[in-house]
Amino acid sequence: MAHPSQLGFQDAASPVMEELLHFHDHALMIVFLISTLVLYIIVAMVTAKVTNKYIIDSQEIEIVWTVLPAVILTLIALPSLRILYLMDEINDPHLTVKAMGHQWYWSYEYTDYENLGFDSYMIPTQDLSPGQFRLLETDHRMVVPMESPIRVLVSAEDVLHSWAVPALGVKMDGVPGRLNQTAFIASRPGVFYGQCSEICGANHSFMPIVVEAVPLEHFENWSSLMLEDA
Amino acid sequence: MSLPKPVMRGLLAKRLRFHLPIAFTLSLIVAAAFKFTVTEPRKQAYADFYKQYDAMKEFNAMREAGIFESVRPSGE
Repeated sequence: MAHPSQLGFQDAASPVMEELLHFHDHALMIVFLISTLVLYIIVAMVTAKVTNKYIIDSQEIEIVWTVLPAVILTLIALPSLRILYLMDEINDPHLTVKAMGHQWYWSYEYTDYENLGFDSYMIPTQDLSPGQFRLLETDHRMVVPMESPIRVLVSAEDVLHSWAVPALGVKMDGVPGRLNQTAFIASRPGVFYGQCSEICGANHSFMPIVVEAVPLEHFENWSSLMLEDA
Repeated sequence: MSLPKPVMRGLLAKRLRFHLPIAFTLSLIVAAAFKFTVTEPRKQAYADFYKQYDAMKEFNAMREAGIFESVRPSGE
C-alpha cells in the first residue's frame, strides 16, 4: 500500500506492474533529458548579451528539431506498445471474479463453480483495530489464489465506478450495463489495497478495494467457508 | 594608434557553437545518471528479490503476523 511522503509507485505485485514501473523509469529518463536540454538553452538565451535581429530561417535546425523529437517519440512508443500488447495477451485465467460497483461499496461474485457472492464495505474509522489502515480496510476482502492468472469482470449497478489496485497494475472502469474485463497475476502472497477511481457521489472516497492473495489451498478453504456462511 | 576592429558578426553562432554541445552533453549525462542510479538498480532489485523468493515461507510469516483475514495464524 502507499506510505507517507511516497513519491513513486507502490511496489509491484504483478508482472505487468513491474513492466509499467520500468517503462515509467524509461519515460522519466527521457523527460529529464529533454528538460535539462531545454532549461540549459533557456538560461543560455536569457543571459545572452547580444541579439541577432536578422535570422530569417534555417533549414538545418528545422530538420534537427523535427527528426530528433520523432526519434524520441519512437523510443517512447515502442516500449509502450510492447506493454500494451503484453497486457492484451490471451491469458487463460484460472479464476473469474465479478466486481460490481455500487454506491458506495463493491460486491464480488465468484461463480465459476458455486454461487459465492458478498459485499465489501469500508470499515469506518471508529471501528478500526490497531494496525489497520484508515479508509482502506474493508469488512470482506476479495481473496484470490497467488501466482494464478485471475480475470476480473468489472461493472456497476448505478453510476460509474472504477476498480483499481495500484500494486497489481490494474484499473478498470465499472460502467452500468457494460462488462469490462481485466486480468492480473499476483506474483507474491499479500494484501493489496486500492480505491474507487471514478467519481461516484458523496462516498466515492470511502469504497476501497482489498485483494488478498494466498496459496490455492487456502483460497479453496476460504471459499468453502464463505459458501457455508452464506 | 588604431584599435583592432571588434568582432561584429557571428556572435549568436559563436554562442551556439559553445553552448549547444554542452547542452546536449549535459542532458545525456543527466539521462545516463538517472538510468544508472535509478532505472538499472530498480530492475536489479526486483530481479534479486524474486531470485531467492520463497512464496510459502513469506506467506507463513505473513499469516503468523495476522495480516490475512481468509487465513488465521496457525495458533488460532
